[in-house]
Amino acid sequence: MWVARADAGYLFGGLTKTAVETLKGVPMLIESADARVRRRLLPETFDGAEEEAQWRRHAVPELERLFLSRAQLVRRDLAGLRQLKDVDVWVLLIPDSHVNAWTSSLNAARLALYELAELTPELMDREGLDQAAPKQREALLRIHMLAEIQCVLLGDVEVDGEGEWSPDDFALD
Amino acid sequence: MSSVPRAATRQKTETKTRPETSLAPTWNVIVHDDPVTLMNYVTKVLMQVFGYAQDKAHRLMLEVHHSGRSVVWTGAREQAEVYAQKLQAHHLLTSLEPVAN
Repeated sequence: MWVARADAGYLFGGLTKTAVETLKGVPMLIESADARVRRRLLPETFDGAEEEAQWRRHAVPELERLFLSRAQLVRRDLAGLRQLKDVDVWVLLIPDSHVNAWTSSLNAARLALYELAELTPELMDREGLDQAAPKQREALLRIHMLAEIQCVLLGDVEVDGEGEWSPDDFALD
Repeated sequence: MSSVPRAATRQKTETKTRPETSLAPTWNVIVHDDPVTLMNYVTKVLMQVFGYAQDKAHRLMLEVHHSGRSVVWTGAREQAEVYAQKLQAHHLLTSLEPVAN
């Protein structure tokens, strides 16, 4: 995977079929109805039952709406994925105005993958990949791949080619 | 226009509001560690939500990472709830607890 600055955002290229599949899973993970995912994305906030019930009534529906609107925005950007001609490689543009939504959504998706694969803090460590079961290994690879994109969007990775590239520069299908 | 002298009005207001303010319980906003969320992401969210300088946000993030939790803000319940909701909007594992007297 490579990344470059485009006029209006970040251009991610060299995305493999697996990377695309992982990215397309982001909105679905945010919208997951799985109890473990819901519990993590909408965690218990108060110790007191009455206060917690009040929180569930007032704060949680707003959070759910926010997550859904972010998922829709991510889905819209993913609809713009372009495949390079004759090869299984894709290019994705994330507009600057969507960076915050993407950064949070990637975090949510990584948390959801962690819960669904029943990962542990130990498996998240560098050596964890060797000890993980095949399904967990797959989830770990997806979590790390999404983290790479998150790091770019957080500005932790230096990106070359300021405004140099545009999705139209590529021969696309 | 009221005929009550200004000083008297001010004194009356102070008498009425002070006891309420001092009795209002304060709440801690707590961020808990999780093994997935990136450290730099936590720092940036703390800067964005509270307007903390990078140094302070980084210090709090390290406290979360090493101690498992950090009190990132203390104050009135209503504001604490606003902050907790903002932190959860970014998926930081956040809870609220009253400050023990």
